[in-house]
Amino acid sequence: MCKLKLAVIGSSGAGLPILNSIFRNMPRLRGAIVLIQHMPAYINQSVRDNLAVHTQMTVKLAEQDEWIKSGIVYVAPSELHLKIVSNLRIHLVGGEKVNYVCPSIDVAMKSLTRDSEIRVLGILLSGIGDDGVQGIGHIKRIGGETIALEKKATSIGGLTDEAVAMGHVDSVMSPEQIRDALIRHLGRETGKPDAGKQSAK
Amino acid sequence: MKDTVMVVDDDPMLQVTVRRILESANLKITTVDSGEACIREVENGFEGLILMDIMMPGMDGWDTIQTLVDKGLVKGNIICMLTGKETPDERMKMLKEYILDYIRKPFDQQQFVNLVKEYLSFL
Repeated sequence: MCKLKLAVIGSSGAGLPILNSIFRNMPRLRGAIVLIQHMPAYINQSVRDNLAVHTQMTVKLAEQDEWIKSGIVYVAPSELHLKIVSNLRIHLVGGEKVNYVCPSIDVAMKSLTRDSEIRVLGILLSGIGDDGVQGIGHIKRIGGETIALEKKATSIGGLTDEAVAMGHVDSVMSPEQIRDALIRHLGRETGKPDAGKQSAK
Repeated sequence: MKDTVMVVDDDPMLQVTVRRILESANLKITTVDSGEACIREVENGFEGLILMDIMMPGMDGWDTIQTLVDKGLVKGNIICMLTGKETPDERMKMLKEYILDYIRKPFDQQQFVNLVKEYLSFL
């Protein structure tokens, strides 16, 4: 039996407009999404607010030690690494930058463990550098499905190029296809449209 | 949403072109021709979207952003590169938390305006 369906999205430069495309008209899903976006701390809240406009899912900044729940998009706050403990709980931890960033996509993705009761989808969008390449490989190794954004959809494709070249990526997709893959992987929630949206932080 | 954009580029033609495009979209434009002038504008209170060229005489775009970061001046601004250079170089890796996009010249005018407005919506 599947306890939780989880998607972890790693995104860096040029990722915000792509995220808006992916989440535009996104229904409430029967699973959770954790988003690691490289960004300065002072736009954390507006990034949350922007995404919340597009989707029926609850969108919130991730908080220390909270349990991951279905129907929620957790946005990693800047200046803390985000780990997922036992595949079910958020843990925020300070520390040195990894791959020049904090939070690091690699740190979040590599905190996941193989678990037959958790279905994991790892997605890499756009950016420069290495952060996320090892992480998406880790998700593939623990039995998760992995997706990278197609190169023509971004002005900065170095990150996904490397992940694909390393053999870490199952599928290369457009933003629209990634949106469909999220819906397919997590499933649509029925019966509770827009529940909890107003309480998002 | 803020409506102010600073173009940092030593090419006067580029400054004129971007000013015309963005002013026609009802945005307020400041143009400067060097990294040093950009830093002065931010020190004097500019807040908005900064469109930064890479190759400029004196401080290049990367040095300029690093100085803004070191001086604690990035808050209240969103920085995107606006450049003819095809691919970002290694120095962007160290600054990627502060650079939200890498827009290449030439660009489609309407897509450019939409992107600028999208980034301003985060401020």
